[in-house]
Amino acid sequence: MKISIIIPLHNEKNHIINVLKSVSKHKLPIVVVDDGSTDGSFKEISRLRINNLTILSHKINLGKGAAMKTGADFAFRDDADAVIFMDADGQHDVKNINSFIEKISIGGCDVIFGSRNLSYGVPLVRYLGNKIGSIIMAIFFRIYVSDAICGFRAITKNGYKKIRWESNGYGVEIEMVARVGKNHIHHCEVPVETIYNDNVKGVTILDAFGILLQVIKWRLTL
Amino acid sequence: MIIGLQIIAILFSLSMIYFAVLSYKRHELNGLEISSWLIMWGLVIVVVIFPELLRAFASTFLVTRVFDLMVVGGFILVIGLVSSAYMRTKRNEKKLEELVRKIALKK
Repeated sequence: MKISIIIPLHNEKNHIINVLKSVSKHKLPIVVVDDGSTDGSFKEISRLRINNLTILSHKINLGKGAAMKTGADFAFRDDADAVIFMDADGQHDVKNINSFIEKISIGGCDVIFGSRNLSYGVPLVRYLGNKIGSIIMAIFFRIYVSDAICGFRAITKNGYKKIRWESNGYGVEIEMVARVGKNHIHHCEVPVETIYNDNVKGVTILDAFGILLQVIKWRLTL
Repeated sequence: MIIGLQIIAILFSLSMIYFAVLSYKRHELNGLEISSWLIMWGLVIVVVIFPELLRAFASTFLVTRVFDLMVVGGFILVIGLVSSAYMRTKRNEKKLEELVRKIALKK
């Protein structure tokens, strides 16, 4: 079974090299999609000599969702059976990749959501936002994912065909959950560990409001 | 109509004419587009100076004051323009996304 790792990248010059070095130990094909980085990330990774590393480049920044879609399109076109998405900021512990591989190999799940232990070391605002998100998704789409915005997740080729998303930005994770719920796709969760760096980026409160509006739109249109 | 409002509306229209001409000089608008904008803002100035011209329209639409008719008309125009701009932006975003992704996937 061919499994690829997909890493959407935007301005993570300080972390991406370490992430790639760690991920490469798994000997899986890696697809990095540089999403219009302006900090020299693309140059940095271009210098790396890692087997099975493919670097794709968005000439302008389209957003995380678009980068994930480009990576998935490439991997599945390249005959991958499943892909694992990881963030480029080093938040995700590479040793959890094995949990995803295990779940994919067992079969039965087309989408595997990573679930962080939110009761430990997570800022309160983030914890509450996450829980509220999960509850809203449960009400709107009858699917409960304990960590609906975790970017560490896997999807099979079959699953991708059914839930190929439209979101270009940070709404992608929530849209995936919405589409999984709407299409009654088999899904499961694996616990993952998170390493919080000093400058954690990600979803802002403004992004969260935008995503909430999108959730209502998806409820009406999906 | 209140003279202060008329002055503001005329100044606004004149500044919009200035921006339209500026865009034309930068070749961002073609001849037809600049003509349309000039006619539109010219009409706005005429109506602002002679609001009584709209009296007949106002009574047709059962609006008591000409000012109310202009406000309602303005709102309708703005909503129309915003909707149209939104649709165009969405279309362009989609095209741009497809192009950028196509180039990335050429590898």
